Amino acid sequence: MHERLSFYIKRDSVIHRLNPLTKLVLVFAFIGVAFTFPWYWMSLSLFLFVLIPLAFVAKVSREYFFTATRLILPAAGFLFLMQALFQPIGEEIIFQFYFLDATRESLAFAFTIAARIIVMISAFTLLLLTTHPSELMSDLTRRGLPGQFAYVIISTLQILPQMQAKAQTIIAAQRSRGLDTESTFLKRAGSVLPLVGPLVFGSLVEVEERAIAIEARGFTSKKEKTSLHEVPDTVTDKTIRWVLIILIILSISLNLWL
Amino acid sequence: MALVNIQNLTYKYPLTKTPALQNINLQIEQGEFISVIGANGAGKSTLCYALAGFVPHFFKGEISGEIEVDGVASSKSTLDEWVVNVGLAFQNPFNQISGAKYTVFEEIAFGLENAGVPREQMQSRVEEAMKLTGISNLADRSPYSLSGGQQQRVALTSILVMQPKLLVLDEPTSQMDPIGTREVFSVIHNLTQSGMTVVMVEHKVEWIAHFATRVIALKDGSILTEGKPGDVLTSDVLTKNGFGVSRYTSVAREAKKQGLWKKEKLPVTLFEAAEGFNRNA
Ligand SMILES: Nc1ncnc2c1ncn2[C@@H]1O[C@H](COP(=O)(O)OP(=O)(O)O)[C@@H](O)[C@H]1O
Ligand SMILES: [Mg+2]
Repeated sequence: MHERLSFYIKRDSVIHRLNPLTKLVLVFAFIGVAFTFPWYWMSLSLFLFVLIPLAFVAKVSREYFFTATRLILPAAGFLFLMQALFQPIGEEIIFQFYFLDATRESLAFAFTIAARIIVMISAFTLLLLTTHPSELMSDLTRRGLPGQFAYVIISTLQILPQMQAKAQTIIAAQRSRGLDTESTFLKRAGSVLPLVGPLVFGSLVEVEERAIAIEARGFTSKKEKTSLHEVPDTVTDKTIRWVLIILIILSISLNLWL
Repeated sequence: MALVNIQNLTYKYPLTKTPALQNINLQIEQGEFISVIGANGAGKSTLCYALAGFVPHFFKGEISGEIEVDGVASSKSTLDEWVVNVGLAFQNPFNQISGAKYTVFEEIAFGLENAGVPREQMQSRVEEAMKLTGISNLADRSPYSLSGGQQQRVALTSILVMQPKLLVLDEPTSQMDPIGTREVFSVIHNLTQSGMTVVMVEHKVEWIAHFATRVIALKDGSILTEGKPGDVLTSDVLTKNGFGVSRYTSVAREAKKQGLWKKEKLPVTLFEAAEGFNRNA
């Protein structure tokens, strides 16, 4: 089964050594600036001149480009098309596709949205590539994030690949009993319905069992939790966080002011 | 005084009419290895939940009677206090993985983190527990990458590391292959040898006959019969109530009717059967 369930790539880089919260603030700074800074090319510039170099500094450029080409760019491309064709704004038609048309304004709008999405997902990808999820969570719980909340996030990150694996198992099992999952879309949609039962019901039973299992290990204990990992937090980290927060505030104020 | 004392325990799940446990009375001494048998729906899991505090602290419903472990009453305790004394592991090893940890070592430390054990002690306690169950070599693996038998031993270790007074195991080998079953049994056997008190729901009668000190047979939420494995597992009461028996018991019972089995007592294991038939000759 899956040996690797997180995106995390264990390497030694400046970025890896940053405190997880610092990296999380950095992600929000990217998002904050990309979504509020009142300059048309801001998101694209962040992507080209900050995020990509950062991937190299973090020594995860190969993994980052892999995710970018497989996930980020296709998602942004799709979003761009939808926005360009369906946004009912603007007069000056650039091209038409049946009854849909793309105007100069809708293209500009689509570009802005797509570039922002690229920045957002890229920033998160870099965070996940360079931060061990357990460390992120233990650092955040140490700072007061409720344990239940941290658990939900981290177990979701882990459970998705398993759900996928399980769906595959159920499909294989149903197919061996003659279920058709490979013909036309409509036929498939109909025949996939029987899979939903086992997947959902199975998941509910599992949720209860898992709840019991973690409860049996004192998950809701009112004692103050400790943590196996010690996560360093340096003066540099604190400084970087303040600078980033000021940057976010600045970007938002500029946006409101202009 | 007995480690576990259950008095007149009757329990009904919410929205159900018949009680899942009916008037259970049970005392368990320190160091016993008790095996619980019974058909589907007999109440075995419910009894485990009651011992582990999940009935009534997790599953609501109507409860009467009392469960005491080490002199403390379940009704006067909270679940998070209770689980420190009573460890629970169950059938599906996969669902017992917390899902919040990336290595076996972290997974085992999860309970200690929750209990607020200082970091310095955590390291040594996890290592010790892993040695006890023979999984030290898995420390850095992902819990999801393991075989069923290995995962079940991780689940056991995760409970043992909390140093409970009573270990409750609900069908821990039912999803294991023969190798996994052997691995799990050998761990539990070692634990009982070192004085751990264990209550285990199990169907594999030959294994029970080997290891358990007492067998409790449940039927429709009540204790049908209990006693030494050799007596209970060969008793007529079990056969009359549709319990599965060891094939050696069935063979010897048939042989006895035809005068081929001379001993009074019927065998459970291959060894006992071979010995008994040998003596006939
Ligand atoms: N969560 C529940 N809610 C309602 N009824 C339950 C629940 N779990 C078990 N039961 C019922 O309680 C009875 C005993 O179940 P259980 O203890 O799981 O039996 P066993 O483990 O021996 O198969 C059964 O009749 C079962 O249907
Ligand atoms: Mg059961």
